[in-house]
Amino acid sequence: MDKSSMAIENPASRRKWRRFKYPDSLYGYGAWLIAFTVIVFSIEYLNIPLDRLLGMLGRMGDILAARYYPPDIEYIMDQDYFGYVVETIQMAYLGALFGLLITIPVAWFASYNMTPSRLFVYPIARMFGMSCRAVHETIWAILFVSILGFGMLPGVLALTLFSTGFAAKLFAEEIESIDMGPVEAMRATGANLFQVMVFGVWPQVRVAFTGIAIYTWDVAFRAATVVGFFGAGGMGWYLKRNVLQIETERVAAIIISIIVLVIISEAISAWARQVVMKMK
Amino acid sequence: MAVLKVSDLHARYSAKGPEILKGISFEVEDNDFFAIIGPSGAGKSTLIRCINRLVEPTSGTIIFDGRDVTKLNRRGLRGLRRDIGMIFQEFNLINRMSVMDNVLSGRLGYTSDWRTLFRAFPRKDIDHALMLLERVGLIDHVDKRADELSGGQRQRVGIARALMQDPKLMLLDEPTSALDPKISREVMALIKQMAQELKVPCLCNIHDVKLATEFCNKIIGLQDGVTMFSGPTEQMNEEKLGEIYAMEVL
Amino acid sequence: MKTETMTSGKESVGSTTAKLGGLADEIAVKRKRSRMMSGAFSIFLLALVLWSVDVTVIKDTDWERIGSLENVLEATNRFIGIDFELFSNLFVPALETLLIACLGTFFGLILCIPAAWFGAMNITPYKPVTYPLARLMMTLSRSIHEIVWALFFVAVVGLGAMAGVMAIAVRSVGFIAKMTAEAIEDIDYRPVEAIRAVGGSPFQVIYYAILPQVLPQIVSVVVFEWEINIRRSAILGLVGAGGLGLVFFRQMNTYNYHGVTTVILAILIIILLGEAVSYFVRRRLI
Repeated sequence: MDKSSMAIENPASRRKWRRFKYPDSLYGYGAWLIAFTVIVFSIEYLNIPLDRLLGMLGRMGDILAARYYPPDIEYIMDQDYFGYVVETIQMAYLGALFGLLITIPVAWFASYNMTPSRLFVYPIARMFGMSCRAVHETIWAILFVSILGFGMLPGVLALTLFSTGFAAKLFAEEIESIDMGPVEAMRATGANLFQVMVFGVWPQVRVAFTGIAIYTWDVAFRAATVVGFFGAGGMGWYLKRNVLQIETERVAAIIISIIVLVIISEAISAWARQVVMKMK
Repeated sequence: MAVLKVSDLHARYSAKGPEILKGISFEVEDNDFFAIIGPSGAGKSTLIRCINRLVEPTSGTIIFDGRDVTKLNRRGLRGLRRDIGMIFQEFNLINRMSVMDNVLSGRLGYTSDWRTLFRAFPRKDIDHALMLLERVGLIDHVDKRADELSGGQRQRVGIARALMQDPKLMLLDEPTSALDPKISREVMALIKQMAQELKVPCLCNIHDVKLATEFCNKIIGLQDGVTMFSGPTEQMNEEKLGEIYAMEVL
Repeated sequence: MKTETMTSGKESVGSTTAKLGGLADEIAVKRKRSRMMSGAFSIFLLALVLWSVDVTVIKDTDWERIGSLENVLEATNRFIGIDFELFSNLFVPALETLLIACLGTFFGLILCIPAAWFGAMNITPYKPVTYPLARLMMTLSRSIHEIVWALFFVAVVGLGAMAGVMAIAVRSVGFIAKMTAEAIEDIDYRPVEAIRAVGGSPFQVIYYAILPQVLPQIVSVVVFEWEINIRRSAILGLVGAGGLGLVFFRQMNTYNYHGVTTVILAILIIILLGEAVSYFVRRRLI
């Protein structure tokens, strides 16, 4: 039976083997220890009651059942509400559109291989893209509302910066991964920066850019549903009003409408992306 | 005594699909090195996968080690599979894991899920793995990742993994067709040597007839799911080969 | 629009040569038609944009409230400056923001295990039930904005960091689980076959044959999501879920515009920190 100690037994060759050898094992355990400490420290520091967490799930169910059910569907079947939905959609695509228009030069300047000047333009464009991305869309909305007052204009501007931040990084990466052959050929013929961009780079990134544009619309729409929360137009304002009035059944209905709209927009963008892929 | 007895085995992938195996019968005895030859598409791979039920046969019986393979429940199937070592055409190693972990994965059938979670294999298994790695000539590559090795070395890891199982039978699914001729011969020689030493019968599915006649003592020739030849290697001749490979333009 | 014309032009060439008859005319007609179609489509889009600009920007805006460009510049100018006194009050909220992001990502990752497992077509335990369930989880998580999630959790567990952590955890599930499930659907099946052949249990197959293949993708997605979560946790305070957002809200309400700028700078700094960490981790692990 004991085949494992079989004929191969050769004591001289026996070597010790450990999964973690000295220096590596130290790093490995160290990383785990740090991760563990951060988590425990966070739980302590933020006073997360782990023991009550499961009870909270039950409570969540109760609250959902008692307050948010049934959703007040009639409330959102209103002409008025529909107007706000249309506004939200408009804000989203205007924001995405303007954002994409800004993205093109920003991404061009922020791509390491195509930037006109690596010393000045590149870091500035990078910084611009990064700050657009770093500041959350709601903060942009609040800032624009405080400067321009309530309305959809600040919403569109907030979504513009948000879309720029989102798309610029992706697009710059796309430009950085192009084949430089045609670009060099263009340069050799004495084309200027703009001509190189239009004839050497754009044909290569066109499809990718369309994909990014569709994706940008998708995320812009999600963001558009809440910028109104801070006074920048669209259905977010409706949400805020009902939250403040603790009209929870209406809030539930609004959230459901948001989910439905997002699913629709996702389906459309998935379809659009497929069409673009086919063109490729 | 027969370790494995296959009788009237039929298999198809889907209810409406073509029948891949049309009534195959053979017996593998202790110390056999049994070759399955035949043109590609003859059903060699399907046949070998039916033995440990990676492919479910549609009818027929397989008796392995006194067990009726086709009637085993889930648990019985696990028990069956851990008694049958398998070596694959494309090695089927876990590329991102070390050679050692790949070899140890041969013991998974004997290891509880909890031990698996922490990859805490018993010392005995680790020692066994080191011995096997020494034998297949990879003792200096224990901690390398599997994808850093050459093809021949990877197949050696595959051999060690299969032997880790203490198998009662080895299934070899074209073990050498991803390797160049010289390495193929080395790998086959190694498998045969180890199999004889450990007294494990092998069922080997092989494309290269020369290798089959050189290493195997019995041959079954398939063509389009039907047995064309079955018998000891000595009875094999050009004429019968011609029949088996009739479909293929030689 | 140019692309559209080109491709449909190509298609028409293909189909007509196949028919082998009346070639040139047909091509010309089809080209013309597709050019007209795309032309009409672009005009339609342009009209849509103009209409939206008219509705949203021109009509809806209170131009008198904005006044002249000077007024706008003046309003913007208020924000330029840094409130140094606020510095000492920022450390604790900044740390809180960072920790909420870490913990939210961590809990999100735990929630992802079932979501990714059920949501990957090839390993989902019982396709008719578990697969749609997981897809529903992912869609809910991704379609509801973090602000809305936070509002909901504030209602459930009260004001404070806890609500923020839960909001972020729930919000992270969708993206991580979706990417992970996609990675699982693209795996190489050969190791799976090998582990099944040695008699591995379903758990062992997942842990030994699937997980090692998708781990690098999971790590990079998680780090990416963590980076985004810092951004999110920085604003959850706006609805009462702790962190820098709360400070931001207070500065805004007391019209301390320099303070607002300071908080935004603080957010930028921790996000830069997060980006540096994520760059480093991804460099190392892949």
